[in-house]
Amino acid sequence: MEMAEEVYEKKILDKISDKVIDGIAWLMDKVRKGWKRRNKARIDEWKLMAYAFNRSPPGLIGFTLILIFLALAVIGPYIAPFSYDLPLTAFDSTAKLAPPGKVVTIKPGQLAEFLHVKPGNYTLLLGSDDYGRDLYSRILYGARVSLVVAILIMIVGPWIGIAIGLVAGYYGGKVDEALMRFTDIFLAFPGLILAIAFSAVFPDRIREFLAANPAVRDFLLALFALKPQHAGAMASLISVVVALWLVWWPGYARLTRGLVLSARENVYVEAARALGVPTRWILLRHIFPNILGPILVYLTLDFGGVILTEAGLSFLGLGAVPPIADWGRIINDGSAYFPNAWWLIFYPGLMILLTVLGFNLIGDTLRDVLDPKTRRSIEFKIKKKASGGK
Amino acid sequence: MECQPIIEVKDLYVNFYTYAGIVKAIDGVSFKICRGETYCLVGETGCGKSVTARSLTRLVPPPGRIEKGVILYYPEPGGKPINIMELSEEELRKIRGSEISYVFQDPNTSLDPLYTIGYQIAETMHAHGTVASIKEGIRKAVHILKMVLMPDPETRVKNYPHELSGGMKQRAVIGTSLSNNPKLLIADEPTTALDATVQDQIMDLLRKLRRDRNLTILLITHNMGLVAEMCDRVAVMYAGRIVEEADVYELFNNPLHPYTKALLRAVPNPLKRVEKLESIPGTVPNLIYPPPGCRFHPRCPMVMEICREKRPPEINVKPGHRVACWLYAEKRGE
Amino acid sequence: MPQPLVKVVDLKKYFPVKGVFRVKGWVRAVDGVSFEIMKGQTLGLVGESGCGKTTVGKLVLRLLEPTSGEVYYNGENIYKLKGSKLKEFRRKAQMVFQDPYSSLNPRMTVFDIIYEPVKVYKLKVSDPEKFIVDLLYKVGLNESHLYRYPHEFSGGQRQRIAIARILALNPEFIVLDEPTSALDVSVQAQILNLLKDLQAKYNLTYLFISHDLGVVRYMSDWIAVMYLGQIVEFGPAEEVFEKPLHPYTKALFSAIPIPDPELTRKREKLKAPGEPPSPINPPPGCRFHPRCPFRMDKCSREEPEMIMVEDKHWVKCHLYTKK
Repeated sequence: MEMAEEVYEKKILDKISDKVIDGIAWLMDKVRKGWKRRNKARIDEWKLMAYAFNRSPPGLIGFTLILIFLALAVIGPYIAPFSYDLPLTAFDSTAKLAPPGKVVTIKPGQLAEFLHVKPGNYTLLLGSDDYGRDLYSRILYGARVSLVVAILIMIVGPWIGIAIGLVAGYYGGKVDEALMRFTDIFLAFPGLILAIAFSAVFPDRIREFLAANPAVRDFLLALFALKPQHAGAMASLISVVVALWLVWWPGYARLTRGLVLSARENVYVEAARALGVPTRWILLRHIFPNILGPILVYLTLDFGGVILTEAGLSFLGLGAVPPIADWGRIINDGSAYFPNAWWLIFYPGLMILLTVLGFNLIGDTLRDVLDPKTRRSIEFKIKKKASGGK
Repeated sequence: MECQPIIEVKDLYVNFYTYAGIVKAIDGVSFKICRGETYCLVGETGCGKSVTARSLTRLVPPPGRIEKGVILYYPEPGGKPINIMELSEEELRKIRGSEISYVFQDPNTSLDPLYTIGYQIAETMHAHGTVASIKEGIRKAVHILKMVLMPDPETRVKNYPHELSGGMKQRAVIGTSLSNNPKLLIADEPTTALDATVQDQIMDLLRKLRRDRNLTILLITHNMGLVAEMCDRVAVMYAGRIVEEADVYELFNNPLHPYTKALLRAVPNPLKRVEKLESIPGTVPNLIYPPPGCRFHPRCPMVMEICREKRPPEINVKPGHRVACWLYAEKRGE
Repeated sequence: MPQPLVKVVDLKKYFPVKGVFRVKGWVRAVDGVSFEIMKGQTLGLVGESGCGKTTVGKLVLRLLEPTSGEVYYNGENIYKLKGSKLKEFRRKAQMVFQDPYSSLNPRMTVFDIIYEPVKVYKLKVSDPEKFIVDLLYKVGLNESHLYRYPHEFSGGQRQRIAIARILALNPEFIVLDEPTSALDVSVQAQILNLLKDLQAKYNLTYLFISHDLGVVRYMSDWIAVMYLGQIVEFGPAEEVFEKPLHPYTKALFSAIPIPDPELTRKREKLKAPGEPPSPINPPPGCRFHPRCPFRMDKCSREEPEMIMVEDKHWVKCHLYTKK
């Protein structure tokens, strides 16, 4: 088959995405020899997807927002001027509920040495809370907490649902009935209330578990960027994660089951069965890759949802307990001083808004990019422009 | 026999503006359909036969566009023609369905599942002012169903499409198409979705209607058997062009274009024992990048240098038999 | 006498029609079908849509479990096979599907598609790439197609890929379910010839399912004509085409347009009015009797037996029952 030379008008972004994809391909080629040659068609498709993504302003805005969020979450704890639990009132009694822009002077002395703070003048960019803790630092730490919580939930919760949906959809009949009724029971309870119930029960068990497994505890502390003395507070954060695992899957089970039901009707599934391909393979190699697109979109959109739910639970007093700097928790603590200390609610609220918005924008764009039909219409516009410009 | 044209197409070009590029779907097609005959457009998937049929009333679906061409419709024998290309959308609507009407491939998608058969026929007649009211239309629908040999028409007129079998649905569709007494019926693969015995019944019906009502039929098909059975004159299309046009007996007995010859040899005949079918090598070209010169040249066993460079002219080998092929141009010294 | 490779005995498959609370009735998709196929030969299974021919194809490969009846492959009942014997049968007996546009996984490259069965059956292949390229050449493709995705191919090429995938397993018996009905005439001949060449080369046995009589005649040594879940006529292809016996066979042959204007307009036609009834409540007696121009009183009462009229030419019709 002859393929004509495709004409694209490449922008800087396209060149960057090309480089990134080529880089990934180079890496894969190093790991497995000949990968690049075998997957040429796939690499080209990825590049086309990237071109389409690059043409979507909302997608790019979302991408930028998420990039900023990720950067803050990763390096935030290192660039924060103070620790999340440092009461500045110890140095300056006026630092309590200080508005944004307030300058605090830290004098050299025993106290500064004891609390590991460098003496000097500090401008509190976003103000401080009622304990005199720097809001800017707490928001940076909060980004880390949000990200880690969201990732911990997303690497488990949805996949329970996806697995159940795959099995229910493929086998059908009684298996399907049983699994879906089980799912319905979970769906019948509002997720948030169920999570509240669970997170009230779990913390003690988790505290015991963490005490018994110091390696796990230390790893989690490092992930959350928390101090060792706050391991107890972390236990209730983890309990929210576990609680959300248990309530986060039913939506995925439903979605996946529906997708499997339609994918199962494809002749290639029947053809695979006729070849004697084992059921497990059919599910993983023939059905799953063909329904991955919509699931990926849902996962992305849901990432924002998880962050929002977690913040909501913290706001309700579950999950993050003081002094952990969690966005929902900061709002909860600050609500007592609203509207005078508005910054305690405004800035963390803004962070939640931008992050959730970012994930939604990316999700929406991914939906267009992953669906071959809409993607081709985007590609068509690119090509028309390019050939028109000749 | 003198040919009194009912429709005449001159130099039609249709492009489709798709994401992948511009598909040159129809590339300079000209033909003429005589009053009272059954004219066939035959060809493989994507050769442009359906698009040509739809172009006759400018029904080309987007992203398709008629680039140029003249389509003359003669409402009266020997009368003054109307150029379809110059009509307004409103004037066209009056012609579609009442003068020229269509029967499409799948009767399931041609009928609205929410309305009874009788209502749908009545609505078509009402829209063109053939009847004064829907009620009168439904009464007339019974006669129309009788005309298309629908079994038990009094009951069927009150049925919904899902209550009818495939063959009955197609009868209903044909009835709807004929409800305003059109002069030209365009049947686009009308039996492809039907079984052999039912297809035969529908073909009998079309023949009967043509005889009784002096209807002109344009039949679009890929089935050479149907062509042999139904048609008076045939145009063979390949990759957006008519490669050969002739009387049906002439075409089957004396095919000239290498494509027609190959096509006829590639169809297995159930009445004859064949040891080896001859296949045409290669595949149908991509019409975004059609081959230059003759579009059949990459698959042609008789290809010459000139075929790769220049579009072959249409040559009238005999009266009523034209072929677009360089082989015959040379012989005539053109 | 040589043993048939595939022997089907009184095969039945009923599908339930589900009501709100209970089963309302049964679709008798296949209702008492028997036939044999000798090694290296082709049986053409002909019939209109809904007559149960595809269901027969799936039953013969045990892709469906029958309601009753047996299928013997090389003398062994396939519904009783277990473990490694079943696996061996699954490898030897394969299927080519009607629609090449949906029978290939769009997310897999040609290499992965053809290599999958090799992995499933853990066949020993020293150089997978060379193995696949050899197969591609056998079906008329080449190494440039190796790492492409199905959407880059035309219908005929896709059907070639589907055939290559099966050849990887070195099969003996292939059910071809309308393998060319989604293809154009010019490509159809290519695929039919490829199938014939492969049959001659590897001594393959085919069950060729189709509604296109011309194609069936070209491909088959034997013909079985199906109507509403039953075989109404069975015999050598030449016999059945030259001297059809059953009124349905005659009607079906008459209904097929012949690509020859003189022949097709002059020949005598036997018309069967109406359309095939629903297989949920098939007519009593002979299932064709409501449409049969030769029907007699007894046709609506008694179901005719399958009888041998001439050498190996069987028909299920009261016209030929000895009085």
